[in-house]
Amino acid sequence: MRVEFVRAVNAVLERDAKSVFLTADLGYNAFEKLAATFGPRFLNVGVAEQNMMGVAAGMAMTGLRPWAYSIAPFGTYRCLEQIRNDICLHDLPVRIVGNGGGYTYGIMGSTHHALEDLGVLKPLPNMQLFFPCSNNHVAAAVAQVAELEGPAYLRLSISGFQNDTAPVSENPVTLTRRYASRARAKARGLTIVCAGHAAQIVNRMRETESDLEIDVFGIARYPFDLDKDVELAASVAETRRVLFVEEHYASGGIGESFAARVAGQLDAFEHMSAAYRKEQRYGSAAFHLAQCGLTPDTVAAAARTMLA
Amino acid sequence: MSLTPALVTELRHDALAIRKYFLEMHHRVKAGHIGTGLSAIDMLTYLHKSWLGADDLFILSKGHGASSLYATLHHFGILSDAELATYYQDGTLLPAHPAPGAFKSIPAATGSLGHGLSIAAGIALARKTIHGTNGRVAALLSDGECNEGSVWEAATFAAHHSLSNLLVLVDANGLQGFGATREVLDMEPMAEKWKVFGFDTREIDGHDFEQIHAACTDLDPRRPRCVIARTAKGKGVSFMEGKLEWHYLPMSDEQHRTAQSDLGGLDDARDHDKGSS
Repeated sequence: MRVEFVRAVNAVLERDAKSVFLTADLGYNAFEKLAATFGPRFLNVGVAEQNMMGVAAGMAMTGLRPWAYSIAPFGTYRCLEQIRNDICLHDLPVRIVGNGGGYTYGIMGSTHHALEDLGVLKPLPNMQLFFPCSNNHVAAAVAQVAELEGPAYLRLSISGFQNDTAPVSENPVTLTRRYASRARAKARGLTIVCAGHAAQIVNRMRETESDLEIDVFGIARYPFDLDKDVELAASVAETRRVLFVEEHYASGGIGESFAARVAGQLDAFEHMSAAYRKEQRYGSAAFHLAQCGLTPDTVAAAARTMLA
Repeated sequence: MSLTPALVTELRHDALAIRKYFLEMHHRVKAGHIGTGLSAIDMLTYLHKSWLGADDLFILSKGHGASSLYATLHHFGILSDAELATYYQDGTLLPAHPAPGAFKSIPAATGSLGHGLSIAAGIALARKTIHGTNGRVAALLSDGECNEGSVWEAATFAAHHSLSNLLVLVDANGLQGFGATREVLDMEPMAEKWKVFGFDTREIDGHDFEQIHAACTDLDPRRPRCVIARTAKGKGVSFMEGKLEWHYLPMSDEQHRTAQSDLGGLDDARDHDKGSS
């Protein structure tokens, strides 16, 4: 998603003189053009994420709209207090960008995985989270983030099951994508809801007979706005069964918030997520997803079980 | 702006009045953080009377000194009697550490140490390199706060970007949360540290207005300024000076009477200030 992000944020910086771009010394082979184009509005602050967030807050206090980039674990955990105190409590338009959500940096090891990033940021006051589903979803997310008057976090990821399937439809307000519709609309069916790039796992499921009874949605924003997500809300109301898939720990994840939001409407809710393992071994993003049972086949099996 | 003898006298009278009002505030609501406020009041007085212009900003990075800032802003007519009457009470916008977005003259909510310098540096950089405006930024830190690694991230950043519009003051009262700074985590030689980080550094008596003024003016056009202000925690109140417990304790009625008596009247201001530095 980084290529798409750079293209989109370049356009934002071109049209908005108040936008500035900070990076904590990351962006090799990606940000060179931004650096060359935008002069003092591009700033490598060095390997100092706490300072980057405080500086971004200070710049925002002068009327600027800073983007603050790092890889997802570094740009969230180390500087969480700066994000909370300096940015969120002051409701400042700082756009935090974390590249490498979930297991994107699989073989880089545990320190580089971001499996709690949404969870630690989700409760922060004024914070809005954006987690696009695939490369072709990034530009729309950047465009929305660029318009915000308050803080935001944009989670960029590369899926272990890469898939840029175009959606059937996309809600321009909520960014929610519909990837599949029940062919047998009168059947009771199942709603699969994916948070962000977990949609790419689901979109790699082989079509089966049971797929005909499944609605698939990819959501990309938190807080939810189900009043505007008419198709998703209708599907949940009709099927009363939700299988939620996300590349994030269950605790603090988007799924538990979604479950709480629709709890009164549901007969069944299953949550497939990343999971911590004491005996962790390391590999590609797909390897890690397989280790915690997040594959197209396991999702399909879970769906079949819920439909049975 | 030169510091005339008349202005020095005025500053001493202002600082004394602020200290007296500050003690009343704390006594009224039985609030702690008295010692840290008393060590900073002379610098706050100077900054708000003589240094800060319309385009300048002040960040209280040592947020636990908030009440001394409130008292200072009140003295100079920036916060009202009605606002100060709510200090430390239910429903107030003046809690023990600054609140976000409550008052233009308090731009940042601080209280967790090690945040204010980065914010100040961000403002200074934006003004210097993007907005092209002349406003300066001052940040007041505590010496204990300099334990925080984020302070040194910010210091490195400010010096690297030659933030000549940034003034850092360190209220070096020598005491922190649970002991003497030298014993808990010795940051000395403090002035040398800031110097090698790239600051134009001065070391002064933080209760001497001539020295404060000299250290805060004629900023170097190539680098930020850092003033290590040697102060006494609890300054002006004999039984508080240099005592760790006055970071926390509220005053009894008797202690408040003694404290006000220690400070003396306005007529004593000059002698008092000279005698106890």
